Amino acid sequence: MKKLMSLLGLVVVIAMAMSACQPVVQTVVVEKEVKVVETKEVKVVETQTVVETQIVEKTVENSVEVPTAFATAPFALADLKVRQAMAYCTNKVDIANAGYPLLTQEQAKTLVMDTFIPKTHWAYAGDENITIYPYDPEKGKALLEEAGWTMAEGKEYRTDANGIELAFKFTTTSAAFRKAWAAVWEKQMKDCGIHIIRLHAPASWWFGDTTGLARRDFEIGAFAWVGQADPGGQTLYACDQIPTAANNWAGQNDMGWCNEKASVAIKAANNTLLQEDRKKQYTIVQQEYTKDVPAIPLFNRTETSAAVADLTGFDPRPGEEYYIYNVTQWERPGQDTIVIGFTQEIASLHTLVESSFAANLALLISDPRSYTSLDYTYAPATVKQLSTLESGLAKNTVVEVKAGDSVADADSNIVTLEKGVKVMNSDGEVVEFDGTPVKMMQLVVTYEWRTDLKWPDGKELNQADFELGYKTACDKENGATSFILCDQTQAITFDGNNQTVTWKPGVQSPTYFLAPFGYYPAHRVIESEGPYKGKTLAEVPAKDWLTLPEIAETPWGVGGYKIVEWVKGEKIVYAVNEFAPADLQPKTPNLIITWVTPENAEAQLLTGAVDLLDPTTLAGLTEQLVNAEKEGKIKNYVIAGATWEHIDFNLSY
Amino acid sequence: MTGYLIRRIFQMIIVVLISAAVSYAILNFAPGGPMSGMRQTTQNSRFRITEEDIIRIRAYYELDLAVPLRFTRWLIGWPTGPIVIGGTELFSDVVIGCSKETTQEVLNSAGKYETVVTGCARPVYLKDLVGRRTSKGILLGDFGNSWRLLRDRPVSQLLESRIWKTVQLSGLSLIFALLLGIPIGIYSAIKQYSKFDYIFTTLAFIGSAMPTFFFGILMILAFSILPKSAGWPYLPAGSAVAVRNYTIPLLGVIKAGSTADILLHLILPVATLTLVSVSGWSRFIRTSMLEVLRQDYVRTARAKGLIERVVIVKHALRNALIPFVTIIVFAIPGLFSGAIITETIFSWPGMGRLYFQALGEYDYPVAMAFLFITAVLTVIATLLRDILYTVVDPRIRLT
Repeated sequence: MKKLMSLLGLVVVIAMAMSACQPVVQTVVVEKEVKVVETKEVKVVETQTVVETQIVEKTVENSVEVPTAFATAPFALADLKVRQAMAYCTNKVDIANAGYPLLTQEQAKTLVMDTFIPKTHWAYAGDENITIYPYDPEKGKALLEEAGWTMAEGKEYRTDANGIELAFKFTTTSAAFRKAWAAVWEKQMKDCGIHIIRLHAPASWWFGDTTGLARRDFEIGAFAWVGQADPGGQTLYACDQIPTAANNWAGQNDMGWCNEKASVAIKAANNTLLQEDRKKQYTIVQQEYTKDVPAIPLFNRTETSAAVADLTGFDPRPGEEYYIYNVTQWERPGQDTIVIGFTQEIASLHTLVESSFAANLALLISDPRSYTSLDYTYAPATVKQLSTLESGLAKNTVVEVKAGDSVADADSNIVTLEKGVKVMNSDGEVVEFDGTPVKMMQLVVTYEWRTDLKWPDGKELNQADFELGYKTACDKENGATSFILCDQTQAITFDGNNQTVTWKPGVQSPTYFLAPFGYYPAHRVIESEGPYKGKTLAEVPAKDWLTLPEIAETPWGVGGYKIVEWVKGEKIVYAVNEFAPADLQPKTPNLIITWVTPENAEAQLLTGAVDLLDPTTLAGLTEQLVNAEKEGKIKNYVIAGATWEHIDFNLSY
Repeated sequence: MTGYLIRRIFQMIIVVLISAAVSYAILNFAPGGPMSGMRQTTQNSRFRITEEDIIRIRAYYELDLAVPLRFTRWLIGWPTGPIVIGGTELFSDVVIGCSKETTQEVLNSAGKYETVVTGCARPVYLKDLVGRRTSKGILLGDFGNSWRLLRDRPVSQLLESRIWKTVQLSGLSLIFALLLGIPIGIYSAIKQYSKFDYIFTTLAFIGSAMPTFFFGILMILAFSILPKSAGWPYLPAGSAVAVRNYTIPLLGVIKAGSTADILLHLILPVATLTLVSVSGWSRFIRTSMLEVLRQDYVRTARAKGLIERVVIVKHALRNALIPFVTIIVFAIPGLFSGAIITETIFSWPGMGRLYFQALGEYDYPVAMAFLFITAVLTVIATLLRDILYTVVDPRIRLT
């Protein structure tokens, strides 16, 4: 027995020693990479170069993963052939599969992206209108040869005529997901003779306000953008949106990509209101983008949900981030309650100040959005119709503006017109104001809500509620972060459930047809203890709404459910709003949001404590979920999400 | 003794204040903070933030005030404006911070750009504090408002929602760990090198070596998922209470929120925490007992003809427990601070998770309240330990 104990003790000590040693190797790798980059950038300091070389050699002794001494060649990224070669050498299906190993190759294929817009999006240019780079390493190698990067006998990586190795520093986050697919990409590049030196930096550095991406501190970098029904893109692809020290790092064109044709088109796309016209502009941008290859779009991230097998009506769709858009249609046979497991706890349901995804989801269950965006296409929900130019509810007219007028400048900032200010005139040209009146476009849009919407106390939604909505949203004391919509508003009028907004000249938001301001129950009497007890909501100053339980915890809505209770840290309970219109009446009378940790979520689903886990909880499919689905206990829902991974080249070297 | 207590309490206050100041400084000087990610938002065309918005938000978080002033406002709710004496405002125009800094981009020696603060374009004066919201100060029991986790509502509400659940979990596991750990340790020591000793020593090693999350997941698999799947009676896999009624074979329908429901939900997390504690504590007691059992006075007691039970309980155990007092007393702050891993594995809404979330969300008022209360409980526990020493060991006198 003593021997057994000694052996056990020895095993524990060895295990501890081994686990203690593991991270040290990783640390050395990262340190080495950073220091070598410094060597490259401060080439003239020869003393430093010698020091760094020593460190690299020392590292090699400790880990086989560490490459021998090298210098990167970021200047090679300026060569289109190199970028194209890298695109041809990239097997996106395998990369998507590395990120999501439980998906089949066929499923992974559906996630692949060839440009910055998903294939199912209305703004997608179409396969025939863009340059697609299918996985073809031989073609990639040939392009590299043409570019002067050749493979010497017995070498692993290509070099140029000066003997410089075709090596790049590749920066991304340290998330396990990214480590998984980045390793596959590294191997794919190696097969083509390209040396990728991975640097997995902390997300706080990579996405920091004054570090990483914000300072374009990378050669090749990877991260994700979140796509939306409106593709936007002006700050991402226009020439004047390249962050530099000179412009105080404004803009998000981190690649430093400047293609005049694309730049003009992306601005036009974001300053044109008719969808057909916009699509043409987006097609031009995508053509140029795929031709120039400033980045390699990889794949859409998946959004995974899992629900009990008998849940019907749940139908998450690409383009619609709020999967509860049809929550009233969900039901389980013989069950009167549906339980959703949330990971992120909610701070407040006062969405003027709390904009988290979870808070929006929780609020929208009781107060649906005025529109949906299924498959990236907008459709009316609680408004009668979308207030588009085509519908006649919006008008875009030419107005003359003069010095002192408040307008939107060419960068969409609200400014007072004075000499030197750049604005977009009614012909779509950016002009500098010189004191003489300029003609600009001005939008006037009427938003019409349904007239059958009722609050949980049976009172109809009315004009006073909309007036309170606007007044509160634009009160600078309300605690909100942004007031851009208020600043953009020149005038607003109310007529029953309709509101007409006159936007300031130059405000040409592509999503002008989406109602900017909501409503609050002006007549609701405050019941919570405090100075406003007994008063109506309309009588409470906006600055004090933050602390009102009637706003922060149990706000009223006009949807099929109403919030009846919020137990902090545990649950939010919903019941039927019996005054909601027939088409909004829920099929299941009770709904509960409960908080679970990601580590415990699957167990709660499999033991029946919750009925649904959403993409904010599930990072992806797990073997446990797949097996449970095979056994018929649950159903998994995997859709291509709006978030897409891409590899960006820094073209400024 | 009274003099000692007064001296100790004075020292405790100093220690708590220093600890609060250090914690506050670390949080406020650490990279990140509530303004992190603002760059992304300022670039978004549909949710653009202007420079004025940033100034307003910085003022909301008091980031425009000098750190020492932020600290005193958090600690004692002072200053709230100019000092008024006889109707005269003093120090109104004293600069106490900066709402808009002037910065410059400079190339550092590594050839990379750095943002360097070069001055202040819009200073904040003492008079600007008038009308700003502030708490009464944590020393007066006002923890202030939460920044993120319970946006703009009192931190105390958050603490109240978690504290009872934490005490339930930590308290029960502490009791069970004591009830199991002490007898096992004693018995192992008395029966050293017996089969019982070998078995429990091995189990204790395993219990100490295996991480809590491993035990937790194992428990969930063994007592929740697999039995539920097989149609057998099972235990809830997580959370402190069910949100709807559920049926357990043999037990029938369990009403959500009922005592039975609460007890069922407690079993797995309490068992997990208890197992880990028992492993360590039984080993500790065993070692301590073995040491005492070898002492001359134990031999003397036996030589006097005392029965073995009296020797063990009265002479050996009492002395063996002296070092154990330290461990027990320091479990008091643990009753408040919770057990983050166990809470996470079992979705338990406890203080440990709350603190972790507060740090992740840069909700400094919540994090500071947690740290402050933990510091207070720790110094109280230290005092209690010293007093308890005099009880269990008559040789010790506090003067």
